[in-house]
Amino acid sequence: MSIIYNALSGTQAAQVALTAASQNISNVMTPGYTRQGALLASVQPLQAGVRSPGSGVTVTSLLRFSDTYKSLQLWNAASELGQRNTAQPYLTQLEQVMGDDESGINSGLDTFFGALNAASVEPTSSPLRQQVITSADALAQRFNSLSQVLSNQRASVTQQRTTTVSQINTVSAQVADLNEKIVSAQALGVTVSGLIDARDNKIDELAGIVSLQVVDQPDGSRSVSLRGGQPLVVGARAATMTAQGNPDGSQTLTVDFANESFTLANNKLGGQMGGLDDFENGTLVPLMQSITDMAQQLTDNVNNQLAAGYTPGGTPGAPLFQFNATGTTGVLSIRPGVLSDDLAFSSDPTKPGNSDNLTALIGLQTQPVTLPALGSVSLSDAVTQLVAQLGMNSQQNNTALSTASTVRDQAEESWKSTSGVNLDEEAANLIQYQQMYQANMKVVAVANELFDSTLAVLS
Amino acid sequence: MRIASTQYHTTMNTALQTASSRVQDLLQKMASGDKYSLPSENPIANVRLSRLSREEASLDQYLDNIQTLHGRLAKDETVMSGMSSDMLSARDLLVWAADGTNSPSDVQAMADSLQPIIDSLFYSANSRDAEGHYVFSGTATDTPTVQYDPAAAVGSRYTATGNTQQQLVAVGNGVTQPANTTLPEMADILNVLDRVRTTLSTTGANANDPAVRADVMGALDGLDTAIDLNSSKVSGLGGTQNILNTLEDNHSNVSLSNKQAALVIGQLDYGDAAVQMNGYTAAIQATQKAYGQISKLSLFDVM
Repeated sequence: MSIIYNALSGTQAAQVALTAASQNISNVMTPGYTRQGALLASVQPLQAGVRSPGSGVTVTSLLRFSDTYKSLQLWNAASELGQRNTAQPYLTQLEQVMGDDESGINSGLDTFFGALNAASVEPTSSPLRQQVITSADALAQRFNSLSQVLSNQRASVTQQRTTTVSQINTVSAQVADLNEKIVSAQALGVTVSGLIDARDNKIDELAGIVSLQVVDQPDGSRSVSLRGGQPLVVGARAATMTAQGNPDGSQTLTVDFANESFTLANNKLGGQMGGLDDFENGTLVPLMQSITDMAQQLTDNVNNQLAAGYTPGGTPGAPLFQFNATGTTGVLSIRPGVLSDDLAFSSDPTKPGNSDNLTALIGLQTQPVTLPALGSVSLSDAVTQLVAQLGMNSQQNNTALSTASTVRDQAEESWKSTSGVNLDEEAANLIQYQQMYQANMKVVAVANELFDSTLAVLS
Repeated sequence: MRIASTQYHTTMNTALQTASSRVQDLLQKMASGDKYSLPSENPIANVRLSRLSREEASLDQYLDNIQTLHGRLAKDETVMSGMSSDMLSARDLLVWAADGTNSPSDVQAMADSLQPIIDSLFYSANSRDAEGHYVFSGTATDTPTVQYDPAAAVGSRYTATGNTQQQLVAVGNGVTQPANTTLPEMADILNVLDRVRTTLSTTGANANDPAVRADVMGALDGLDTAIDLNSSKVSGLGGTQNILNTLEDNHSNVSLSNKQAALVIGQLDYGDAAVQMNGYTAAIQATQKAYGQISKLSLFDVM
C-alpha cells in the first residue's frame, strides 16, 4: 500500500510545484514580483524496520527566492538616484536661462557700458545721454528677470518639498499597514510572499524620496527609519513628517512619532529630499544672494560716481539706479523721472563738455565687486564666473546622476537575477514536474497491477 | 549569472534610451552649430567664450567710437581749412593794401572787403554742433569760443571765452584720444584784423602813412602766425586720424583673432558630429536586431 501513498504524495508535490510555476509565469512582467518554488523533502519511513525506504515526498514550504542584501542595495541605489535626479532639472533650467549670453546680465552690462563709452564721443549730446538711461533701464530689467526666475525656482522647490513630505507620510502609512497584514497573515499560516513584495515596492518608493535604514523584525514586520535614525515606521505604526515654512524662505522639517518629535537637518536626508536641499542650499540661495549683492554694488558704485560729478547744468549728480532687496517688482530699477541732463559726466560745474567723471564711470566695468560665492571679482566678469560655478555644480550632479543610474540599473539586474522570473526556466520546470506527475501516476498504475495480480492468485 | 526574462527588455530599453538621448543631443547641436548646448558640458570653455564675447562687445564699441571720432575730426578739419583760406584772402588784401600807390578810395574798398572775412572767421570760430554746443570751446561747450563786444575799444572787441581743455574719448581699453580742437588764438587775430580794418576805413587813410603801414604790417605778421598755427593744428588732426586708423586696425585684428578663437572653442565640428551620429545610429540598429533575435528564443515554442 505504501507504494500508492508514496506515488500519491509525488503527484501532490508535483501539483504544488506546477502551481508555483504557473504563478511565476503569470507574474513574469509584474514589477517587484519575487518568484516562488516548491521546496521538496523526502518523508521519513512511518514503519520501523530496515526495509522501508521512506514515506514519499512532501512540500515543506513554498520557497521565496529573495536576498535581503540585494533589496537593501536596491533601496540605497534608489536614494542616490532620487537625490541626483531631483536636482538635475532645476540645474539644467538655470543653466539654460543663465547660459544664454545674449539675453543675460552680461549682455546688459555690455550695452550699458557701451552706451557710456559712446557718450564719451560727445559727453553733452542728449541722444547719447538718453541712450545711457535706456540701457540702464534694460540692464535693470535683466537683473529683475533673472531674480524672478530664481525666486520662481525657490517657490517651486518649496512646493515640491511640501508635496514630497506628504508623499512620505502616505507611503509610510502604507508600509505600516502592510506590516500589520503580514504579521496577522503569517499567524494564520497564509503565504505572505505577495504582501512582502508589495511592502518592498513601497519601501523602494520611499527610499527614492528619502534615504532609509530598514531592519527586519522577528515577527515578520520591517522597521523603517531615516538615515539619521528618526523612525518612520515601527510595526504597524507610522510617523508623520511636517514641513514648516520660515520667514527667510527656508523650511524646517519635523518627524512626529508617538509622543516624540524630532527636528531634521535638511542636508542629511538623501533621496529626493536631499536633492532638493542640494540644489536649494548648494546652488540657488548662494546664486540669489550673489545677484542681489551684485545689483546693490552696481547701484552704489554708479550712484556714488555720479554724485562725484556735475551735470551739464553745473549741479552735482543725482542717482541713476535704485536698489530694492525686497522689492515686489524687482531688485533693480532706474530712479523714476531721471533725465538725460541729470547724468553727471563732468568733473567741473563750469565745464559741461568735460568727461572725466564719465571716464571714471566707464572704469567701473573693471572695478571689483564682492560676491559671497566668488569673493572679489570684476563687475564685467562676475556673471561669467557665476555661470561657470553653476555649470560646474550641474556637471558634478550630472556625473553623479549617471553613476547613480548605472548603480541602480545594476542593483535591479542583480535583484532580478535572484528574484526575477525566467520563462525558459519555468518551461523546464513545467516539463520536469509534468513528467514527475506522470511518473507517479504510472507508479499508481504499477501498484494497482501488483494488487490485481495478488487478487488474481486468491480467486 | 542567472538572467530574468524581463532583463532583456530592460537592457534593450536602457541601451535605446541612452543612444536616443545622445542622438537627440547631437541633432540639437548640429541644428545650432554650437559645440556645447549647456555651460555644464564644459564650464571652462564657457568662461572663455563669455570673456571673448565681453571683449568683442567693448571692441565693437571702441570701433564705433573711432568711426564717430573720424567724422568729428574731419568736420573740424573742414571748418579749419575754411578759416585758413579766409585768413589767406585777408593776407592777400593786406599785401595789396600795403602797396603805397593805392588811392584812399582803393584802401577804403579793401577795408570793406575785409569785413565779410572777419565775420566769416568769427562765425567759423563759433561753430556749433547739431545740439548747439560750441565745437572749439574746449570743455566749456556752452560758452562761445570768441565773444564780440561792439562797445569795447578797437583791438579788444573780441574775447576768447572758451577754454583749452580736451574732451577725451575712449578708443581702447584705458586709451583715450582728444576729440576736440581749441581755438583760443582766434580772438587775437580777429582783434588785429578789426583794428587794421578800422584804420584802413578811416577817411583819407593812406598806405604810405607810417602809422597805417605799421598796422598793416602788424596784421600781416599776426596773420602769418595764425595761419601757421592753424596749419599745424590741421596737420595735428591728420596725425590723430592716423593714430585712430592704427587703433582701428589693431582692434579689428584682435576682434578677428577673438572670433577665430571663439569658433575653435565653441563651434561644432560637423565631421566629428556626423561620425558620432553614425556610431549611435549603428548602435541603435544593432541593439534592435539583437533584441529581435533574442526575443525569438523561447522554450515554450518547442513544447
